Amino acid sequence: MVERLKTVIFLSFFLAIGLLAIILSCALWSNWLPLLVALIFVLAPLPNALFAHCGSDDFSNEYESTPAVDLGRFITSIVVVTGFALPLILQHAEVIKPAASYMSIVGGSLVYGTILAYSQVFKQDTEEF
Amino acid sequence: MSVPRADYDPRRIFLISCPSLPFFKHRRAIGVYAAGALFALAHAMFFDACALSAHAKPPPDAPYDTVPVHVTFVDWIPGIFTTLGLLIINLIDKERLLSEGSYGGEPTIIWRARLFLFIGFALMAGGLAGSVSLLVLKYIIQNYEPRFQYYGYANVAQNVALMLAAVILWLAQHASSEYEYNLQL
Repeated sequence: MVERLKTVIFLSFFLAIGLLAIILSCALWSNWLPLLVALIFVLAPLPNALFAHCGSDDFSNEYESTPAVDLGRFITSIVVVTGFALPLILQHAEVIKPAASYMSIVGGSLVYGTILAYSQVFKQDTEEF
Repeated sequence: MSVPRADYDPRRIFLISCPSLPFFKHRRAIGVYAAGALFALAHAMFFDACALSAHAKPPPDAPYDTVPVHVTFVDWIPGIFTTLGLLIINLIDKERLLSEGSYGGEPTIIWRARLFLFIGFALMAGGLAGSVSLLVLKYIIQNYEPRFQYYGYANVAQNVALMLAAVILWLAQHASSEYEYNLQL
């Protein structure tokens, strides 16, 4: 119970740092386009979470994936790569400063890593039922 | 997973089989993720060219010149065609193509599946050819500066990456079930 609590506290700490980096990258240059990165990375696990339940019923094993699960993975991968590519595009077109783009990328990957780690850590709970 | 011995498996070609690495059972997922990443990368390259064109400034020694060329709707067309082709090819149920005659008395289904597959491949090839011809006709023949020719090269790179994504997605969908049927098209 105590280590669960520690995990939650650490994960929320990383989430806060990631959001801080993204918001700083917007506010320091008063250009709020990098905030889109936070939105994209928050939406990234959504397709996998939705389509994971369409796939397997009780009779099919875990490695036999259906087209719906594949579609979820495809969309997830698209969203994640878009989240990394968008600040670089904006930086290349000289819309945002390079420092802002790197900060938003680091912040976005922290946010996404937090979400992934959270779903990995607390996945075992539901499987016991 | 128990693979039959070489003497018994008629599909084996090589004497020494490829060792099965631990991530081989996840290769379908890995392939699908890689295809999605390539798909997003392709469109990122093209949108990069679009954003550059939208923010292009005339050279500093002649600030009142107009920028000679922009990314217009014409540049979008090859990408749209290739994306449509990718979707059509990968939405076809592969078992319809491979199960020749096992759905007895329904040859029209196989025929229709092949027709759509042909349309998809034609769209992809047309998109790639269109992007190359766009690069040549719109950017290279007109002798623009290299920073404007980059728009055309980004377009070709987008279409090549989309084709690669389609190939990887096609292979990944076969990966898990290759012991049930071997690829015959």
